Amino acid sequence: MTVSTNDRRESVTAGPLSRVSPAFWLIAPSVLFLALFFLFPLLKLVAISLPGGSMEYYDQIFTTPVFLRVIGETFRVSLIVTAVTVAIAYPYAYAMAHGSRATLLVLTVALLIPFWVSLLLRSFSWIVLLQNTGLINDFLIAAGLIDRPVRLIRTPLGVIIGMVHILLPYAVLPLYTVMKKIDLRLMEASSICGASWLRGFARIYFPMSLPGVAASAILAFTLALGFYITPALLGSPRDMMIAQMIAGQFNEQLNFGLGAALAVVLMVLTAMAFGLFGAARTALQMRGRRKGEI
Amino acid sequence: MNTLRRILFWLVVGLTAVFLLLPTLIIVPMSFTTTQTLEFPPVGFTLEWYGKVLGASDWQAALFNSLVVAFAAAILATVIGTAAALALHAYNFLGKTVVMGLLLSPMVTPVIVLAVGMYMVFSGWGLVATRAGLVFAHTVLAIPFVVVSVLASSRMVNPSLAPASLGLGASRWFTFRRVTLPLIMPGVLSGAVFAFITSWDEVVIALFLADAQTRTVPIMIWNQVRTNLDPATAAVAAILIVLSALGVLLSHKFREARS
Repeated sequence: MTVSTNDRRESVTAGPLSRVSPAFWLIAPSVLFLALFFLFPLLKLVAISLPGGSMEYYDQIFTTPVFLRVIGETFRVSLIVTAVTVAIAYPYAYAMAHGSRATLLVLTVALLIPFWVSLLLRSFSWIVLLQNTGLINDFLIAAGLIDRPVRLIRTPLGVIIGMVHILLPYAVLPLYTVMKKIDLRLMEASSICGASWLRGFARIYFPMSLPGVAASAILAFTLALGFYITPALLGSPRDMMIAQMIAGQFNEQLNFGLGAALAVVLMVLTAMAFGLFGAARTALQMRGRRKGEI
Repeated sequence: MNTLRRILFWLVVGLTAVFLLLPTLIIVPMSFTTTQTLEFPPVGFTLEWYGKVLGASDWQAALFNSLVVAFAAAILATVIGTAAALALHAYNFLGKTVVMGLLLSPMVTPVIVLAVGMYMVFSGWGLVATRAGLVFAHTVLAIPFVVVSVLASSRMVNPSLAPASLGLGASRWFTFRRVTLPLIMPGVLSGAVFAFITSWDEVVIALFLADAQTRTVPIMIWNQVRTNLDPATAAVAAILIVLSALGVLLSHKFREARS
């Protein structure tokens, strides 16, 4: 690592060790630690998934219907969850960005309280709420909407509810950041010029909020791909997601090579989705810069 | 906005707020129920479930493991994470972006991938079923939070203070201890709280690395949730929530101290 610093004292001190900048000694422990306990395990997975350089496990994954179905299911659930999450997050972020100070405070607290309660506990709570004798079924029966309890846990619907709940804060925050900077007087101007609210929203507000929509959708989707606890607790084994399949290969099937290959597939999918996130952010920054030039 | 649209809009926002809060808010009341099954609204009031949990030796052991692992991981992550953040803030060097990416990447890696990778590597190193293994794994997860938090507070410090101290003849270590560290302390402490909570709540990696002797509270909850749901689980959940809330308040205090 080449190190350059603008500290004049550097050149004065002698001795082989002091030639190296303090930056090196400050950075070395964390880089070494992560190389050993983070990068090495990931590389080990890649190595296990390619025994003797053979692609057999990857061939197996991409030709066996059961694995393709799990990957497809992971995409399907993640896409649905992303769509629902962003759809709910949009008005919520709008209220935070353009509401009164009191509204902002209440909505922020409502957003951050669950953010601080662990995923496991929130999934546990959803089991209690969604079970046949749970609050949701009681409420629906009392409201006369249904006659007998509807099965909600161990179904894809239960998984979607639980995942949307966990991803909502991640989706709201990027939307809020973008919406806060949108000048509502533009909407007033459009209405003075005779445009309906809907037209003004579709032609002015929504396009301006689009970078936020992209960022929050990609973030939600990236995180959704790797979900393990929520689908394991709220879903049925039939609608398994890829993370559960990986855990199963290590815990039950003891097929480490295949499990490692599935883990590498998930890692690559996540990295690709996150790459999109980076691209969306760059686009957002460029947009901001262009606005600054006007 | 016309009235109907306004009503519809606030209805959606209000329902979303209820949706967000509901699962968190029902846990604590549920832990006081006198029934044998989890009920909401709870029936009656009893502290029996808390007594049952706090008196059971397996829960006590898990609580002890959780505390030891979370404290150790928080200290380790805070020390090496703070050092890294200081360097990233104060120096320019080749590969800085790469280092930054490495330090933050545990945050975006699917935790199941980390869990199985660590399981394979740690079993070769004799770290599976040990508290040390859990500490190292949780430190990996916690480092990004410390780096982000300390970097944020470093950016708010007047950059000419450290050179001033050095220029007046103070040693590098003295400058760090008496000038830099006190100034970035809020970020260090709130990073430490984040690190502690990260470990305290972590379940996926612990499922792969812990055994019956080293299992943590989240694992006990996981087992309970998968086998029999009873109000004792809600009592543990309530304890965890209260502790997390204390952590949040603490980190908030640190941040207020910063500004």
